[in-house]
Amino acid sequence: MMDDFVSGALQVTASDPGDVKVMRYQWTGRSNDRQPGKLLAPFFSRVLADAQERKVGVEMHFERLEHFNSSTITAFIQLIQDARQKAVSLTFVYNQSLKWQRLSFDALRVFVKGDGLLDLKAV
Amino acid sequence: MAPFNFVIDIPVRNEWANVDLLRNSILNCFSAIFRDVDGCHIIATVAGELLENAIKYGTWTVQESPFRLRVYGMGRKVEVSMENPVDPGSEAVKRVFQTLEWIKTFPSAEEAYRAKLLEVASADRQLGESRLGLVRIAYEGRCRLSAELNGDMLRVSSIAEY
Repeated sequence: MMDDFVSGALQVTASDPGDVKVMRYQWTGRSNDRQPGKLLAPFFSRVLADAQERKVGVEMHFERLEHFNSSTITAFIQLIQDARQKAVSLTFVYNQSLKWQRLSFDALRVFVKGDGLLDLKAV
Repeated sequence: MAPFNFVIDIPVRNEWANVDLLRNSILNCFSAIFRDVDGCHIIATVAGELLENAIKYGTWTVQESPFRLRVYGMGRKVEVSMENPVDPGSEAVKRVFQTLEWIKTFPSAEEAYRAKLLEVASADRQLGESRLGLVRIAYEGRCRLSAELNGDMLRVSSIAEY
């Protein structure tokens, strides 16, 4: 069962990708909590456990996200590491016409390895 | 960005909710002045990260102690600075100066930021503090960062040209 995440100005909504091989989540609003990692970690844990059980990948869509603070980036790094450890394929989709998204997500390419488990897709 | 002169100089209460309020206010103000949406967003992000650091690492023994945010533009130069009370001998203050020196050891802010991301990934996640914010604004803001300690007031400034 794909669940949603809502905290303050941030919403992460599960959406039907029309593809049985992937679980898709749409991020909207702003991630500006003082400790977003503490809030997001249980959600990420459920998402990865679900994906592992169903043997599907996870797509996180950030195109409509307005802002995230640097603590949120730390939470993303932890998600990347946990997904890799569980051998869950993870894709971050971002809006390359927004400079802040392009800069933030391009930098995360340092975590792309030959295992194909992390993809950063610019749209 | 088109060159305009402006100044925003305000005292702020040290409440976390004010970070988002001010970041959005700056974004809205600048969007009213400039057509460059990307530039406006970056200035707002720089202000937001400096505000977060001030609240996280400032000394707030007096609950109502305000800190000061200043955003100043002259021509194409934009300076965002944050001034807040600190314990001058604290680890938090030392780490600000160490981080700024650490950034300078890289050929570019982009390389410093990528190195910081890898450092965050290899760190003990229980330690919590990544200090990613300053490196992020050096990279995304394409700005020159500096810090100055005057008594128990720390001022961190970011200067960039847009």
